[in-house]
Amino acid sequence: MATYVLRRILLFIPTLLGITVLVFAVMAITPGGVGKAVVNMQGEMNPQERKQLEDYLNRRYGLDKPIYVQYLRWLNRVSPIGVSYDEKGQSQGFGIKWPDLGTSFIKQRPVIDLIGEMLPITLLLNLLALPLVYTIAIGTGIYASHFRGKAFDTISGFVLLALWCLPTIWVGIMLIYFFANDDMLHWFPTGDLHDITATTMPFMPAATEQGFQRGWLLDYFWHLVLPLVCLTYGGFAYLSKLTRSAMLENSSSDFVRTARAKGVAARDVLFRHTFRNSLLPLITVAAHILPSLLGGSIIVESIFQINGMGRLMIEAAFLKDYEIIMSVTLVASVLVLVSYLIADLGYAIADPRVSYE
Amino acid sequence: MSSGTIQDPREEAALAQPALATPPMSLPRRILGEMLGRWGARLGMIWIGGMFLLAVFSPFIANSHPYLLILKDGSWSSPLLRHLTPQDVILLVALFMFIVMWFMRRTPLGRKIQIYFITLAVVALISFIFVRPPGLIVYEKYRELSSAGEVSFVLNAPIPYSPHDRLRDIKDARLAAPTTEHWMGTDNFSADLMSKLIHATRIALAVGFIATGIAVVIGIIIGGIMGYFAGAMDLLGMRLVEMFEAIPTLFLLIAIAAVIPERNIYIMMTIIGLTGWTGYARFVRAEFLKLRHQDFVLAAKACGLPLHSILFKHMLPNGVAPVLVGASFGIAGAILLESTLSFLGLGLGPGEPSWGQLLNQTLGAGGRYLWIIVYPGLAIFLTVFAYNLIGESLRDAIDPHTKRIKRQGG
Repeated sequence: MATYVLRRILLFIPTLLGITVLVFAVMAITPGGVGKAVVNMQGEMNPQERKQLEDYLNRRYGLDKPIYVQYLRWLNRVSPIGVSYDEKGQSQGFGIKWPDLGTSFIKQRPVIDLIGEMLPITLLLNLLALPLVYTIAIGTGIYASHFRGKAFDTISGFVLLALWCLPTIWVGIMLIYFFANDDMLHWFPTGDLHDITATTMPFMPAATEQGFQRGWLLDYFWHLVLPLVCLTYGGFAYLSKLTRSAMLENSSSDFVRTARAKGVAARDVLFRHTFRNSLLPLITVAAHILPSLLGGSIIVESIFQINGMGRLMIEAAFLKDYEIIMSVTLVASVLVLVSYLIADLGYAIADPRVSYE
Repeated sequence: MSSGTIQDPREEAALAQPALATPPMSLPRRILGEMLGRWGARLGMIWIGGMFLLAVFSPFIANSHPYLLILKDGSWSSPLLRHLTPQDVILLVALFMFIVMWFMRRTPLGRKIQIYFITLAVVALISFIFVRPPGLIVYEKYRELSSAGEVSFVLNAPIPYSPHDRLRDIKDARLAAPTTEHWMGTDNFSADLMSKLIHATRIALAVGFIATGIAVVIGIIIGGIMGYFAGAMDLLGMRLVEMFEAIPTLFLLIAIAAVIPERNIYIMMTIIGLTGWTGYARFVRAEFLKLRHQDFVLAAKACGLPLHSILFKHMLPNGVAPVLVGASFGIAGAILLESTLSFLGLGLGPGEPSWGQLLNQTLGAGGRYLWIIVYPGLAIFLTVFAYNLIGESLRDAIDPHTKRIKRQGG
């Protein structure tokens, strides 16, 4: 197992480098390359600003240099290990440094600050969604596999496939139309994460003389309901199908038959023998649904106007702010890659049979 | 995939059984039969078939140009035929050829495919040279002519509005609720919603098929090379696969969509295809790793066959089944991606007939127009659902494991 873990970690490095090449290539292969930002903003800039921007891009990428030098310069800037420079451009030596993700021209702020603000919001959405997805999915999956071929199994299979196919964009709009609309039911807010008056609210819900006050925390959760519904339904549809098939596969295997034959109670066979072994694929999948959750949060954040990383990405794409696009894509990919690594290692710990070939 | 290439021992055993009442069927035919026996696949096929017919005949179903227009002075014309684009002609010929091929039972499948695509290419070339619709299109012309009383006879399409017809001559046409005139209402650009939905089937089906086609071809080539050579090539290839899998698809697509100067339907298909090949590469790799030591591959190698022949003529037909299952899910995924990108405003431009673009309008319109929410969303959902139903049935038909469970009777 030690070889497996070591090999897995070593293979992580070339993949990470490959991702940086890919992200850089997306920007660089387009006509004009990275320096195109100048051309794009030409209309709205006076000559002085234009000069400033040109200088900035030149300093950062070395636009007069060949493309691989541009890439290496960019890589050095964004990686946390490398040569750091001070204000005047003097080398400070090789070592661990704070990654420099560049400056956003639409917000006039360092990209790393923007991501630092917005990543927690996106992560919160996803981390709340994951346990929800798992609880519902495992319950439905076990139940469906237990009643295989019965009405519950057939109907839940059909409904889950339908849920999986429901486009998130449609569900989001429909939820707003029916549950956040004055003409229909106005149970939930239409968007954002806080009420306008949220800063003046007490933290916890309380009953005061003006009646019930929902407080900051409850207000927050109240705003999260619709986005979370949007983010979870597809995932649990997929996962409960997976749980069901894993349960079915294990329930026809030899060790379960042995357990039944030696007289283990049906309940114990189900939960201690079949279910525990069916959990294994669910560990890996936790990492593999992360990309779709992150993608889903782009949609959810732009429908519900939540200021997370997805919305930042969309805004940057509209205004062609390349530094943000590159950095956000890179951060999202690194997140996914790290979670793959953790899932693989977790799998190796959970299942002692795993080895590298 | 003809019956001659079946190398699976199970298949040979099945073919050798003399007790079969019916003549032995080839594997693809049996899988197709078993798949169509499931009601999910049937429902899916019916819906997709209907979509295909709508897509091919959309200019004949929803068009502002009448089939036949006879003016008071006796001159007559057919504006609809005059305004057909090369794409319309190619699609019509493609459908016609498909029907002809269906009835040519004697010709082998490979030959049919060859004839089909060569003819289509020739027709495409001819129609792009000779079919030239007028550059300036005035949709209101016919309505104005008839209200001026200059028309003696007009034969309109069932839905007499084009998707780009913004009904400039009609008052209060923008965001009108469904009426007998406009069965599904009108959208933010004053265009008839039903007409737009019908023309959008083209975009959805084309994106689904072509994007998935591109992805499958790339996946088969990369996966085939990885699986056949194994070792170092496999290690390198898997890093490439992991790279593409680690970048969330929607992020990568948005990044690409943001940098390309001009977005149209062909570019959308290409970028969706270029980012979606990893799953197919994994399937093909896994199959080829299993196949590479089998006797028929060794024999092909010993005969000195060229690499492309070993990979694609001998190994691929035996390992293509999971790819086909993946592809039918992939088509659904590509349709979803296109509508999501168009919804986010990074796909097809405003006013284009695309389901996602129509949903995008509801955000701008304040989300209060139920008909623009319901119909395009329903169209996306049902199409995606249909492809997934087909995919599930195909997977169950191919997978021997589920078959065994069924035979045991639960």
